[in-house]
Amino acid sequence: MKGFKPSAPFLLLLPAIIVLAAVVVVPLILSLYSSFTPFRLTKPETFFVFIGFRNYLSILSNTDFWWAFGRTVLLLTIALNLEMLLGLGLAMLVEKATRGQRILRTLMMFPMMFSPILVGFQFKFMFNDNIGLVNNALQSLGITREAIPWLIEGHLAFIAISVAEIWSSTAIFAILILAGLLAMPKEPIEAARVDGCTPWQTFRYVTWPFVMPFAYIAMTIRSLDVARAYDIVKIMTDGGPAGRTELLWTLVARTAYSDGRMGMANAMAYFSILLSIAFTVYFFNKLAAARTQIGAEW
Amino acid sequence: MDENSSARLKRRLLDIVYRIGLFLAMLTICLPGLWIVLSSLRPTVEIMAKPPVWIPQEVSFDAYVAMFSGIGKGGIPVIEYFRNSLIISVTSTVIAVAIGMAGGYAFARYRFRGKSGVFLGLMLTRTVPGIALSLPLFFLYVRLGVIDTHFGLILAYIALNVPFTIWLIDGFFRQVPKDLAEAAQIDGCTRWQAFWQVEFPLAGPGIASAAIFAFLTCWNEFALASQLTRSVSAKTLPVGLLDYTAEFTIDWRGMCALAVVMIIPALTLTFIVQKHLVGGLTSGAVKG
Repeated sequence: MKGFKPSAPFLLLLPAIIVLAAVVVVPLILSLYSSFTPFRLTKPETFFVFIGFRNYLSILSNTDFWWAFGRTVLLLTIALNLEMLLGLGLAMLVEKATRGQRILRTLMMFPMMFSPILVGFQFKFMFNDNIGLVNNALQSLGITREAIPWLIEGHLAFIAISVAEIWSSTAIFAILILAGLLAMPKEPIEAARVDGCTPWQTFRYVTWPFVMPFAYIAMTIRSLDVARAYDIVKIMTDGGPAGRTELLWTLVARTAYSDGRMGMANAMAYFSILLSIAFTVYFFNKLAAARTQIGAEW
Repeated sequence: MDENSSARLKRRLLDIVYRIGLFLAMLTICLPGLWIVLSSLRPTVEIMAKPPVWIPQEVSFDAYVAMFSGIGKGGIPVIEYFRNSLIISVTSTVIAVAIGMAGGYAFARYRFRGKSGVFLGLMLTRTVPGIALSLPLFFLYVRLGVIDTHFGLILAYIALNVPFTIWLIDGFFRQVPKDLAEAAQIDGCTRWQAFWQVEFPLAGPGIASAAIFAFLTCWNEFALASQLTRSVSAKTLPVGLLDYTAEFTIDWRGMCALAVVMIIPALTLTFIVQKHLVGGLTSGAVKG
């Protein structure tokens, strides 16, 4: 047994590393290369033409791309913040319940079981201007006489998509924050109350710091697949009307598969990858910081 | 006395407000799903009716019958899609969990250099948006001739699931006290035996939840499947859902029915795992 003997954790991690290298890393290197070529699906020979940063330069001056980029960041900001707030509210509502907490918890997880594509379709159905539940309800209640063109007008479509996105992902926050609330020791809260804290102060300085790591776990999980929004948008509006709800991901798909401009699409895809990585690393660091803070205080 | 009763009134009012709030929240959560189920059971005329028909006048299973009666009779090849979905999801789940168990065990039981770096690195591979990953995979798969096959999608889904199964299973192994396996080893087990006879059974329920979670990810995945499959031979249910949309019209009732077919397995499985899932994700929350 002389010579090179790899350590046990290395051997155990090897299969994971091999699979991820083969299916994620190598293809990504390939796509990085092709983002420097004018590669088109219809012209295979263009794969070997090297054009340097021309794709990236033309992206920089492409207003459609920057609109999509800005819209994606806006959607993520709105959605993640509202999901966090609503999830927190929902978790606290359910935690307060004295009876039937198990049933409430199960109901709360309901949206998690819907695949994004189903969420998209379901809200497309509900926001349909002619037969949708939302318009039918608004008209029956006499709030509006006109059919509101939810998915046809740009801003309304953006709102509809945000609603779908928030509906589908609030559950993740709620369930994890609830886990935090339930795991929390009760003494600090009682101590705070005895010391004369207002409910808000108790929440802000006792409950919230404890629940924070759980919220960041939810954020990290969410940021691992922020691109779920692609499925929702693809189904609900497909980037329409006239590109008003185009997100980074739908734009990449359109450029690659409808226009066949793979090189350009790969260059765009790199922006979306960097965006996702930025989100994940940010929340991962927040998570680590929140953990150490609790470790120090408790 | 007066102060007392006003305090009691205030408390009762707060309680009522709380109940209404809870009710509204739960209604918002459940209504969209219930609406889909309801729509799949009513005739198309009612879905299209103006003014809207709120309570179904008649319940019919026509949409489900049509869906399963095959192409040409208003149906889509839903049985083939179902089979594809099942084969692809199950195979990739089994392999991803096996890989995840090895990786998770390594993270939970060993100390090694660059541990958190490796962990973050594995997670980062998961952040690559499906659609961005589909571009090079599409190109590679066409070259290798595995486009539109079960194998291609299974491979992609394994990679998709491995980071997350590692995270979950790592959490479950951490909940199993180290001393147990050490005691078994002192009693004469090898590390391998100690793992299978002590640690694995204890972490078992957690690993099962990780498996179900991986299964659901595959079952629901759309971005990759929509680009890497084309025909009945490999298309999965989420992609099949699009069969109901034509250029300008959508068969709402048919789509609702297929949605119900898709959601039932997901619903059952999520219900089974909910408790363990939360435990696994948060096990490292307070003590890293």
